Amino acid sequence: MNTLRLYCRSMAILIRSQLQYPLSFFMQTLAQLVMEGGEMLAVILLIDRFDRLNQWGPGDLYFFFGLMSVSFYLTEIFGRGVTGNFPSMVRTGQLDTVLLRPRGILTQVLCSAADPRRITCIAVGTVSLVLGSRLAKIAWTPLKALLLAESIFFSFWLLLGLFMVEAILCIHSVKSVELANALTYGGRSACEYPSDIYPRPLRLLFTVIAPFALVMHVPASVILDKPLYGWPAWAAFVTPLSGLALFGIMYLLFMKAMKFYRSTGS
Amino acid sequence: MKAYLSIFRMRRRMETQYRGAVLGGLICQVFFGIILVAIYRALYAGKPQAIPLSHVTTYVWLQQAFFRMVVATDPELLDKIRTGAIAYDLCRPLHLYGYYYARILAQKLTGSVLRALPMLVFAALLPEGWGFCLPASVPALLLAVLGLILGLFCVSALENITMAFTMRTLDPRGMQGMLNLLMMTFSGNILPLTLFPDSWQRVITLLPYAQLLDTPIRLYTGEYAFSQAPEALLIQICWTGILILIGCAFWRTNQRKLIIQGG
Repeated sequence: MNTLRLYCRSMAILIRSQLQYPLSFFMQTLAQLVMEGGEMLAVILLIDRFDRLNQWGPGDLYFFFGLMSVSFYLTEIFGRGVTGNFPSMVRTGQLDTVLLRPRGILTQVLCSAADPRRITCIAVGTVSLVLGSRLAKIAWTPLKALLLAESIFFSFWLLLGLFMVEAILCIHSVKSVELANALTYGGRSACEYPSDIYPRPLRLLFTVIAPFALVMHVPASVILDKPLYGWPAWAAFVTPLSGLALFGIMYLLFMKAMKFYRSTGS
Repeated sequence: MKAYLSIFRMRRRMETQYRGAVLGGLICQVFFGIILVAIYRALYAGKPQAIPLSHVTTYVWLQQAFFRMVVATDPELLDKIRTGAIAYDLCRPLHLYGYYYARILAQKLTGSVLRALPMLVFAALLPEGWGFCLPASVPALLLAVLGLILGLFCVSALENITMAFTMRTLDPRGMQGMLNLLMMTFSGNILPLTLFPDSWQRVITLLPYAQLLDTPIRLYTGEYAFSQAPEALLIQICWTGILILIGCAFWRTNQRKLIIQGG
């Protein structure tokens, strides 16, 4: 619990510190809004031209896009230490100071950065979710709302785990960390659309290795009343747990990798 | 002119140094290409369009192959402005605009050729319907290459203007993000320009962003017929001229206003 309090404290401080320069913050936030708006524009234009994607109608597609958008940028806001800053911490030797303090490494890395500018991206995602839910005429029940919350919560852990792949590669000083972007940013671009539109190898990749389908698409499709892969509804409550499982595996690998860490500071 | 040529050569050699990073970026790019093609295949299965699917997949692969041409900002310049090291560049007996133009040109050319060749080889090995199609004809291919070269000159001029913008402020992230988005959207990277609503296409194909890759790709697939080629190339030449003139003027005023940071 102590760790959690520490984390919340850090987040509050970091967010306040960014708000010290309101104009710069405002401009950058606006830029984020335009950027995510551009992403959504692509989806809108595709739907305008093609009407539907297999069995998925416009509402379903907006819903999937919104779910990914909200989850991805929540991770970027609250997990910035892992998603953005870690490589530079290794390169500059800043990670050494972390090792000296009496707290967990990952806790401190997570506490070291926040990116509240992404709030507008989440706004775009929310608009897309609402729009999708209206167009698809979702009949909301408390259970469905719970499922949505669960999906977003575990997506956070899934994405954090995938971003840790980059951190792990970085410790082993593999030059081509861009490789890890294929799973994170590539996964985001791919899984803005339901995974059953992909051919088998890609579907397996996004179901088993980077389980976007289990964490996002299975619950979302149950909310939309069009179960993915024909799985029963109760499965949607279980499968998102795989996000946390992936994070757990990555955490263990990360700890193992830290044993190889050699400082670059001088 | 000789000086600019040697700057070009130096920069080209710099770009070929980090082959490991190139490989990582390449794999990532290929992955994005496959995903995009998969999405368009699924969309086309539901509702075929006037533009054949093979043209869309070709569009995707050529966009991915020459991705480096579209976005490759020079982080060094930003550092130079922030630290004040730009003063050294001002001491050089060169036209500052020309100096940076040669650097950007070399960076974009080398960066994209280095990635494009292996990527296109890979895409050619993909099964039928996943890779790219052959050019509409031999003259179409030649025209596309010509268009690509003109596009390279055009995008370098465009990036020089972006850099001139960023010189004005010390924290250009917001500005750069927006300009990058315009570039990505209207150059056809996020969504092929051929899939934009038809009424939009009449306008966006005239924008400078469409001159980089969209025009050469359309020449390649035969979207622009033979008779339309001179017009397309002329637009490219016009934009390149206009953008260079604007950039030159911009850099000149910047040079007068420039404050050297640091101490």
